[in-house]
Amino acid sequence: MNEFFVAVGLGMCLLVFLVLYRVIFGPGVFNRIAAISAIGTKTLIILLVLGYVYNRVDMFIDISMVYALLNFIGCIAAAKYLEMER
Amino acid sequence: MAYIIAALSILCILGGLFFFTTATIGLLRFPDFFTRLHATGKGDTLAVFLCLIGFAIHEGLSLTALKIVVIAAFMFLAQPTATHAISRAGIRHGLKPWVKGEEK
Amino acid sequence: MIISSDDIIIKTIARIFVPFIQLYALYVIMHGHYSPGGGFQGGVILGASLALLLITHGYDEMRRRIPEGVVILLGSVGVLIYAGIGLTCLLLGGNYLDYSQLSVILHVDPAHARSLGILGVELGVGFTVMAIMYSIFFDISTGGILPSDEKRSEEWGDNE
Repeated sequence: MNEFFVAVGLGMCLLVFLVLYRVIFGPGVFNRIAAISAIGTKTLIILLVLGYVYNRVDMFIDISMVYALLNFIGCIAAAKYLEMER
Repeated sequence: MAYIIAALSILCILGGLFFFTTATIGLLRFPDFFTRLHATGKGDTLAVFLCLIGFAIHEGLSLTALKIVVIAAFMFLAQPTATHAISRAGIRHGLKPWVKGEEK
Repeated sequence: MIISSDDIIIKTIARIFVPFIQLYALYVIMHGHYSPGGGFQGGVILGASLALLLITHGYDEMRRRIPEGVVILLGSVGVLIYAGIGLTCLLLGGNYLDYSQLSVILHVDPAHARSLGILGVELGVGFTVMAIMYSIFFDISTGGILPSDEKRSEEWGDNE
């Protein structure tokens, strides 16, 4: 079971590198914000997989909950700032 | 019994990984900002929900599984709201949707 | 000046989530000695929940609910708790912030008194961090333009 979790974690890391293309080359700022929100979602799963690898799931659950909260609040704050008329 | 729980958990996590992959391919290949929001808003939410349910099934009945279910419920409510907020900001800013036949 | 958002979905979701975020921040403060957390981290999450309310509900509504004087008072109460526990240990005959002297008041053994003392200090730190983070964000978000300035320029007419 441990090897399966490590394989899932490596797969998620590969997906994060693929989304990084949209962060660098996205035309305009809106594409970049959507891509960063997607990276935050994938990081949540990678944190839980790390918890299973180090056999201390209780510690990493609290960290991942805080990261989900901060991702949500950051996305709403960025959308509020960019709402001005052109 | 342990085999059934392990098989169910592996099935859920593999389903989540599949939806993550399709959402990422959509984010890279779609032609416009609003279509990319479709891909990442819906695909990522379902994928995170399935992955977290898979982790919770693997834990069994304990306090840790309850915390993982709470995180899953929060992500299920919060991620579509963030997508809605940023798409409203895109419309207000003046971005136009892509019509079939235009340049990318 | 942050104007209130005119979308009912974002306002309702923010109003639903804020009590749960604050409950989770209290959990993080209390479990500082056992899992990642403590005073500063819990205070930051509490301040972030108030910042979420400010972003979605606007400047006037938040000024009506949480006046600026109350926020500064809450920050001072946090410092008072921290320094008060330290001075109590000093008055009871030990060093400053030597929690084992608190076992005289609380009627427990010194190891238990140390654990309770650090818990009280973490609570004080959490209050202060929350108040100062919200106060700084509230003051910076006006951009230097106060509501009284805007009203005055409306009455006198624009000079452009």
